This record gives sequence, structure tokens and C-alpha cells, in this order.
Amino acid sequence: MWPRDRRSYRVALVADRYLNPPEGGLDAVPILLEAEWGAIQLPAEDYPSAVARPLLEQVAEQVEEFHRRGYDTVVIGRREGLDEALEAVGVPRLDRIEPANARALRGFLSRRKPPEAKSSRRRAAATKR
Amino acid sequence: MPGVAFVAHCMLNQNSKTIGGARCPGIYSPLVDVLRENGWRIEQMPCPELAFTGLNRFWAVREQYDTMAFRRHCRRLASAVVGAIDVHLKAGREVVLVGVEGSPSMGVCITSSDSKRAGLPTWKEGSSELTPGQGIFIEELRGEMADRGMAEPRSIGITQPLPDYNKRTEKARLEAFFG
Repeated sequence: MWPRDRRSYRVALVADRYLNPPEGGLDAVPILLEAEWGAIQLPAEDYPSAVARPLLEQVAEQVEEFHRRGYDTVVIGRREGLDEALEAVGVPRLDRIEPANARALRGFLSRRKPPEAKSSRRRAAATKR
Repeated sequence: MPGVAFVAHCMLNQNSKTIGGARCPGIYSPLVDVLRENGWRIEQMPCPELAFTGLNRFWAVREQYDTMAFRRHCRRLASAVVGAIDVHLKAGREVVLVGVEGSPSMGVCITSSDSKRAGLPTWKEGSSELTPGQGIFIEELRGEMADRGMAEPRSIGITQPLPDYNKRTEKARLEAFFG
């Protein structure tokens, strides 16, 4: 028997400064863990554009798949070039937050509606039964 | 001084797993905790399977992904990752790779193999597809680094998907590697 799939159907695109926070900076990891979100890391701000551009292109391709399948996708922080990369693959502007503190980030995540993908999978499972 | 760990995408995002394969809601904390306790910077690699065959993909073995098109896709991803690795190496930081054992793409020492697997995806639970070897993306990534004259980085694979996974043993392995 395979263990139960435990995915949350929630994916946050997270600016590098919140995943690898500087001393005293806001650390998103414990908040994402507690709220049960997955993370897609955005390229570090100090990467040269020739390095960041293909990484952003890959992020956008992956986000397109999550978005199309009804996973909740949001942006935490900002990254130059992200909106253009998402637009290039047809993903509309995502809800986002530039969190002033941990409380603001917790509040933002807790106010999200249930992901469509989770609801539709539950409906499909119920129909089968 | 600790360096930079380039980790498999699913270590930060279990939503990228094949349906049935997510062992936690999002971030895989046993790895992330050890990295952070030991001062490592985290860099997430892309999931080669997610953008190629999507979220509704079937479980697959290495042979099913070993096509020219998938390798080309992996080389494109690897080229971007190696660009980031290069930034850190030039800054004098150690870079390590963290893959996922048993994965057809991200396996470091163990991948999955079955040359006969095809057609309707039904196979016996616990079938013995696990085999020594690396996944296709890891192979292409190492190849890209070699082509650019970079030394092969230390690498480790998370054993969480393997049938004999033991939480305590895994923690000790990670501590020994990153500590």
C-alpha cells in the first residue's frame, strides 16, 4: 500500500531574500511549513541578468502547469523580470504580498481560498465512491 | 565555511511530485532543517519532469524518460542551473548537489530502471525497478559542468522515497554530509 499523497495544492513563488534571509530578515520557511505551502524559489537579486533570465523562464514554465491545474499560486516578495516571464507563458498576474513582517505573511496565506485542484480531486474521489 | 546546496525542486515543493508521491504538504523539513542548522545557502533546481510531462504524469522509470527530447529539455535546464552554480564557484563557495534517490531524473546513486515497462501503467507494488545509477537530469547536469571545466561537486540523494527509508538514519547521513 502506497502512503497517502500529502500535497497541499498550494505553491508560493518566494523571493530569495525570504528563503535565504539575511541576519534579522524575515524567514518565510517556518511560516510556509506551518501553513503547508510549497515553495518555488525566485533567482537571487544579485544574479546577473544572463543567469537569472533562463531561471525565471523555467520558474514560469512550472508555474504555468500549477496554475492551469488549479493549484493556488501566489508571489511572496518581488523579482525583476518575473511578471514578464509569467506573461510570456500566459499566466495572469498572481496575487502577491511584500510582507512587512511574519504576521502579515501568515495573515495573507491564511486568507486564501481552498485550491481548486484540491476541491476537484475530492469531487472526483467522491464520484468514484 | 558552508556553501551552497543546489537541491531537487521537490525538497521545497512536494506539490511537484507525481500524484501519490508527496510525503508532506510542501517543504521537506528534514533536509531544510539540516541545511539551515549548518549554515548552508539553499538553491532550488527545477523539476525536470514537471515542465515536460506535467502534474498528471504517470510514475515512470528511467528508460521511459530516456529520449532525445527529454535529454534536450534536461540540458536546457542544466545549462541554466550551471550558470547559477558558476556564480557561486567564482565567489569561492563550495557547491553541492542534493538529488532524490530512486528518481528517474534526480537519482544520485540510485535510479529506477525497467526496460520492459510500457503501455497501461499497472505494475506490482514494490516491484524491483530500483537500481544503482543516476537520473537523467543529474547525468546531464554533471555533463554540463564537466563540459565547462568545473570539478564534479559532492552530491547526496535524499532516500525518503526508498522502501527502506529510515528517518533517523537519513538525519545522520545528512548531518554527516552537511555538518
